[in-house]
Amino acid sequence: MRTTRRRFLGLMGGAAAAAARLDTPPAFGQAAPVRIGVLAAKAGVTAPVGESGLRGTQFAVERINAAGGILGRKIELLVEEESSPKDTVERFRKLALQQKVDVITGCVSTAVGLAVGPVAEELRTLWLAWDATTQKGVEETMPRPRYAFRSVDNEAEAVMASLLCAKYFRGKVRTVAGINNDYSYGRDNWAAFLAIMKKLQMGVTPVAELWPKLGETNFTAHVAALQQAKPDLIFCSFWSGDAPIFVKQAHAAGLTQTARFVLTTAGGVHESMKKAFTPEGAIMGYNSMYFEAPGASPLLREFVRWHSERFREWPTYEADHAYFTIVAYKAAVEKAARGLGGRWPSPEQVAGALEGIEVESLSGPRGYRADHIMECNFFQGLTTHKNRYDFVTIDPVEVMSTRQIQKPSGMGLYEWINSWKV
Amino acid sequence: MLGGVFHAAVLFLVAAGLQLVFGVQKILNLACGSFYALGAYTGVSLVQWALGAGLPRPAFLPVLLAAGAALAVLGPPVERVLRATYERDESFQLLLTFALVLIFEDVIRVVWGTAPHQLGGDVYLAYGRIPVGRVTVPVYNLLVIVAAGLIALGMGLLLARTRFGRIVRAAAENRRMAAALGVDMARVSTRVFTLGVGLGTVGGALVIPATAAVNEMGIELIVEAFAVVVIGGLGSMRGALVGALIVGLLKALAIAVYPEAEMLAIYLVVIAVLVFRPAGLFARAAA
Repeated sequence: MRTTRRRFLGLMGGAAAAAARLDTPPAFGQAAPVRIGVLAAKAGVTAPVGESGLRGTQFAVERINAAGGILGRKIELLVEEESSPKDTVERFRKLALQQKVDVITGCVSTAVGLAVGPVAEELRTLWLAWDATTQKGVEETMPRPRYAFRSVDNEAEAVMASLLCAKYFRGKVRTVAGINNDYSYGRDNWAAFLAIMKKLQMGVTPVAELWPKLGETNFTAHVAALQQAKPDLIFCSFWSGDAPIFVKQAHAAGLTQTARFVLTTAGGVHESMKKAFTPEGAIMGYNSMYFEAPGASPLLREFVRWHSERFREWPTYEADHAYFTIVAYKAAVEKAARGLGGRWPSPEQVAGALEGIEVESLSGPRGYRADHIMECNFFQGLTTHKNRYDFVTIDPVEVMSTRQIQKPSGMGLYEWINSWKV
Repeated sequence: MLGGVFHAAVLFLVAAGLQLVFGVQKILNLACGSFYALGAYTGVSLVQWALGAGLPRPAFLPVLLAAGAALAVLGPPVERVLRATYERDESFQLLLTFALVLIFEDVIRVVWGTAPHQLGGDVYLAYGRIPVGRVTVPVYNLLVIVAAGLIALGMGLLLARTRFGRIVRAAAENRRMAAALGVDMARVSTRVFTLGVGLGTVGGALVIPATAAVNEMGIELIVEAFAVVVIGGLGSMRGALVGALIVGLLKALAIAVYPEAEMLAIYLVVIAVLVFRPAGLFARAAA
């Protein structure tokens, strides 16, 4: 008998139904899946970051579902696109109101986060951000969030890189230049760097401050300006395709021979930082996950293997932000359910359980402070060419906790920096 | 200032494609940025393949140019799609070409993924670098400038001296009259559009050794190409050249003197042109 398409689909449906029934533990045979909404960027500058987050989410969900789900309920993902703040808010509403998801994770852009946060509060829907929740603006629009859980502060990377500057470059640099994207992240990183240089009495003078727009792909004029300014050190907080482009053009003009480089966030595109143009001995940051961390946990090693086999790429940090939001939600549900005799907790109860939670994430322990800010480790170090790849890695690898490099609850960044005892 | 000229060279190629197509078909082709991005991605893939197949490194430039030029085959089918809007309202044309931008962005994402793509090894420095005044410049940057200059010259000769050029100019002047005089407008449109696509793809391919192919590169460039067109005057080749030079040099000047004004400087000139010479510096009186 010829297999028609309809018959084939029918067979597939039957098989899937049978498989699903076999799969589910008998006690929760009728349990509906936990619905998790995900807002992931798919176009433009943030697309690679969104993709990385989706991969971390996928890894977490596959593992959790293989182990029986959350309290016996399998996870079902509903992925929507993060784009402009307005459209993303609409999709957030759709996920919360129409699709009736239990929790929403995701978002990379701060502008989107600022818009989504208040909506999460209004709809009483848990939102665990991957990134997107940084800056003073967030403090103003979300003074005391109940349902929104935020990521780490933007400046943590600049703070750590500045501390490493003091450790490795003290006395070796007199003049510094900054090239950072012309928006809050770039501006804040550079301001934090200068403030810390002053506080630590590094005795450096800024000689150039350049502000290319996000997404720029031609830095020849910026490189020429840097050559004229002759800085001993160049501080750059690029995190997307512009990082390799800038370093490549700087190298082609000979800048990598005359200046030291600080690349706070180039680890976001680490495979693009080829040895051919990225110098050794530059400070480079990988945000909160380094794929080759010394003494990596079995979990991280499993993830890196899974990621490289499936995508032919080495993973970047956003995967761990995303992985963490899923496992933190699971841990919080289980924690809250224990106090309820095993009943599924309300969003408010899950939110309460998330406060102060700590779980094992890909990069090590990761948690939420009582003020809904993430607590985790950051990885930076000096670039090296001694590895088996065609791109740079770091050695030594420095690890700092956000307890060290993130402003404490209720304190302004500069107020905090000025309160350091040097 | 060489940095500015380098940028201007690439801008010119894309803006020239935009101008050519507008001149004849009266279509403001937003997708010109997509062709630029496609040229860049294809250039990376083809040169990587050629180097892998044993091509000596300094020979990569012809391969890049060939990759860019070959992509012009996209011209005829895309033009066929756009033909549906020739006689319709401009907003239809803008919507359709913007749809093309989104489609090409997705095509790029499906084929090449979201991570930046670039030429490995030292392709950029295959021709070395030389000191120019107080700064060091990769020889490749100068080659790009020369190549763009030659293309500009070639375009000028093509339009001014050849039979095809005369027909194109006639068609740009008065489409109906040209058709009435026996010009096969469908054929001219296809050819002109293909040439416009080729200018964009060659531009993308040429710039790639110095940069990396990223998905948003097309959209970023469209904005600046439009500034070039506004300054130079819509539909004018000379306008594209001068506009590109003004935008490129002004940007470089702003970065050198007052970096805060990097983007502002360009748009101040755009505003000034719109206020004092709304048709642009080189707009034809009739247009």
